[in-house]
Amino acid sequence: MSLSSSTLGKLRKIVGSKGLLTTQVDLATYSFDGTSNWQALPEAVVFPTTAEQVSQILRLATEQGIPVTPRGAGSNVSGGSVPVLGGIVLCTTRMNKIIEIDTANFTVTTEVGVVLNDLNREIARHNLFFPPDPQSFLAATIGGCVSENAGGPYAVKYGVFKHYILGMTAVLPTGAILTLGGSTVKNVTGYDLPQLLCGSEGTLAVITQVTLHLLPLPPARQTVLAVFNEMVTAGKAVHRVLSEGIVPAKIELMDNWVIRRIEEVTPLGLPLEAETIILFELDGVPEAVDRETEEVINLCQEEGAMEARAAYDAKEAENFWAARRAGFSAIFGNAPIAFAEDVAVPPSRLPELIGKVQKIAQKYDVTIVTLGHAGDGNLHPCVLTDEKNTEHYGRAEKAIHDIFSAALELGGAISGEHGIGLGKKKFLKKAMSPEAINLLRGIKKVFDPKGILNPGKIWEEA
Amino acid sequence: MSQLLSVDEASRCMKCGFCMSSCPVYTVDHIESHVARGRNMLIRWAGDNSISVDGDYGERLSYCLLCGRCEAVCPAKVPSAAITVAARTNWVSKKGLNWLQRFVYRGILKHRTLMARLLGLAARIPGVSVKDGKPLRHLADSVSIFARGLSIPKLSRPFLSDRLPSRINPPKGVHVRGQVAIFPGCAFEFFFADVGERIALALAEAGFEVVYPQGLTCCGLAVRSAGDLTTAQLMAQHNIEILSPFDHIVTGCATCSSALKDYGKWFPANDEWQLRASNLSAKVSDLSEFLVKEGFQPRPTEPVTVTYHDPCHLKWRQAIKDEPRQLLDSIEGLKYIEMEGADECCGLGGAFGITHRDISLAIQAKKMESIKKTGAQIVVTSCPGCLIQLRDGARRHGLPIEVMHISQIIGGQREQPRKLRSTGDGGEQSPHPKSAP
Repeated sequence: MSLSSSTLGKLRKIVGSKGLLTTQVDLATYSFDGTSNWQALPEAVVFPTTAEQVSQILRLATEQGIPVTPRGAGSNVSGGSVPVLGGIVLCTTRMNKIIEIDTANFTVTTEVGVVLNDLNREIARHNLFFPPDPQSFLAATIGGCVSENAGGPYAVKYGVFKHYILGMTAVLPTGAILTLGGSTVKNVTGYDLPQLLCGSEGTLAVITQVTLHLLPLPPARQTVLAVFNEMVTAGKAVHRVLSEGIVPAKIELMDNWVIRRIEEVTPLGLPLEAETIILFELDGVPEAVDRETEEVINLCQEEGAMEARAAYDAKEAENFWAARRAGFSAIFGNAPIAFAEDVAVPPSRLPELIGKVQKIAQKYDVTIVTLGHAGDGNLHPCVLTDEKNTEHYGRAEKAIHDIFSAALELGGAISGEHGIGLGKKKFLKKAMSPEAINLLRGIKKVFDPKGILNPGKIWEEA
Repeated sequence: MSQLLSVDEASRCMKCGFCMSSCPVYTVDHIESHVARGRNMLIRWAGDNSISVDGDYGERLSYCLLCGRCEAVCPAKVPSAAITVAARTNWVSKKGLNWLQRFVYRGILKHRTLMARLLGLAARIPGVSVKDGKPLRHLADSVSIFARGLSIPKLSRPFLSDRLPSRINPPKGVHVRGQVAIFPGCAFEFFFADVGERIALALAEAGFEVVYPQGLTCCGLAVRSAGDLTTAQLMAQHNIEILSPFDHIVTGCATCSSALKDYGKWFPANDEWQLRASNLSAKVSDLSEFLVKEGFQPRPTEPVTVTYHDPCHLKWRQAIKDEPRQLLDSIEGLKYIEMEGADECCGLGGAFGITHRDISLAIQAKKMESIKKTGAQIVVTSCPGCLIQLRDGARRHGLPIEVMHISQIIGGQREQPRKLRSTGDGGEQSPHPKSAP
């Protein structure tokens, strides 16, 4: 389909001429997200600046049956913001005001186009801390993070986005503007609709504003680097640390391939021979951080680490974390296609999952690079392939299939933090019963009777 | 090794979007085709003909300030600014330049003597030039309609080449350490000749015999950035011929130093000029870089508060950020206040400031906010482009602050600088505020 000039005229009237893009070059730049294999052109891109404008856009789209794909920065890695059925891309990046930082009650109310890093910088001025830290934080918008229920390294101690959502303003596809939840940590008032919208991948409503719970900034933090010659040993060491009652703020894992690529791009002095590096971050009051640092080092050594030590200073610690952030880029930059998978298992099963992934790589003779959040059991095995080499691509797809099966066998999930989007929708049947998927469809129908909002995502059409 | 970068590098972008956090243009308008990620994708698609390489495409290429900030946050180290220049070069070789670009790049900038003659004529028009004292504001405004409201600096009268003797010796009693050639660039030759004199004087005070080589032309960066590589190469060759005999080449213009240091990358590997260009590039220094390396001690000043704005061409293209601050810090009597986001772009980006006026003004407004918060009396920078934009911004936002080139403050204020030739020049701005407490 193609949007009529009268429809474009109406959109222009709602958002103004500077809020509407329709030229081919502009549309092309909204055809992709952070993945390497999904692409589809929209017919218009709109930049609303208020919930009222969002409402008018959605009402128009519902009337005319036009697909609307909400989008923040488009840094997601699930295909979730790719407009597979064309139509309108509704870009929230110009709704970017922080409305209120409530230092007395530890909350922030913000529009959804604010970039996570910008939010963090503002609240840090008040000595406040918002832990969920998807590694796309330099680009990712709050709206995108809420819609994907994003998480990151801090999840092991602090949880993910859904644990911090107190309230929100959301616009239904019919145009109704709703205020949901509130600003209290405890709130049991009917079905928890903010929690339902969080992680709904933009398929139920367009969120325009959220109120998030904040924490005081921990006064001290320390980074521990532990080097292992076997990934399974690393997994065991992580389990041991947690079993001893220490909850580090972050426990991150990088494999040898990632270590080598990072050293090629940005030499940081990481040990090239190491099979695995685990980075721990301890935070809290200084005395506790000191003691836990010491214990983590001892426990890693007892479990067979080649080396375990604290970062020499804040600068070195920051370098280690920058290296971890660069991990994904290193992977994506090294193959035409990298399937960055996102399976999660109960933390104690992580060593088993790692072992299985290594066997799968051997079985299909493909390179599988692994990094992930060892503390919460969320692993990112990345399968490197090339779509032009159909035989190799076929083996890579089989390997992914086996990784999902392995995670599910271990009592895990096919996506820890990236979402289903387009990338994993054909695997949803493996993770959810037909009845449960029908329930998803039914919920979607209640919110979005015409099915205009981010269509074609999460489940396959029956 | 080929020095000419090709657009193929764009394929290394893995679309993480980190560039969005640092792009001065994207953070104002949030349009994907205006940030490195989106533009790199367009450039890739143009390369394999999956999008039509039309006027819209060419126009999107113009939305880059070439500041290089995106490269500093890029985990894959994609050289997006150079890729954009390469794409513009491909565009120009396919579509050609428009008449105005042809006239300016090939007619005027390339031919310095013609430029000097034209500007010299213009300088005779009352109000267009400044001989001494403050510029006449309303007349500057009347000229600014050609720049969509940007206050264009007045022409200096006379130009720098007519102010400086062919050689300037270090003051008596200063140990002579060697000889430097100054490369003033178009801005210090024609528009800020008073600053050009200060640059020469600072180098002389640092113990160098200062030579202003005859016959230099524009550094060529504006031409190169617009995609006219052929003309830019001719300009580079012309300058290389003249500058090659010197051991040290110093410029006070961040743009010129970034261009001269890059000359080696303007020629393909098999070109005979490539080696000559690289050899020259290795001898080029920015003023503050050179003075700090030579251990220059600026003179004391009356008590004054100063903040510093990082020119993109200095910080992101040459990694020079500490040296200007070191110089300022070492001035007795000067209180330095770091501004928030000192390395945020001023928004000029050469012609960008005129062609994309709204975005440029929005970027400028952020910068003015940061400057205002410092409460400093003087904002110092090291780039004539930034000088223009910051002065324009200070006036637009009514900030009671003076904008100076770093050479204007390191010379001290107890003594007026030596008169090099009697020109009756007083400079466009008094170098030191009378209002200083």
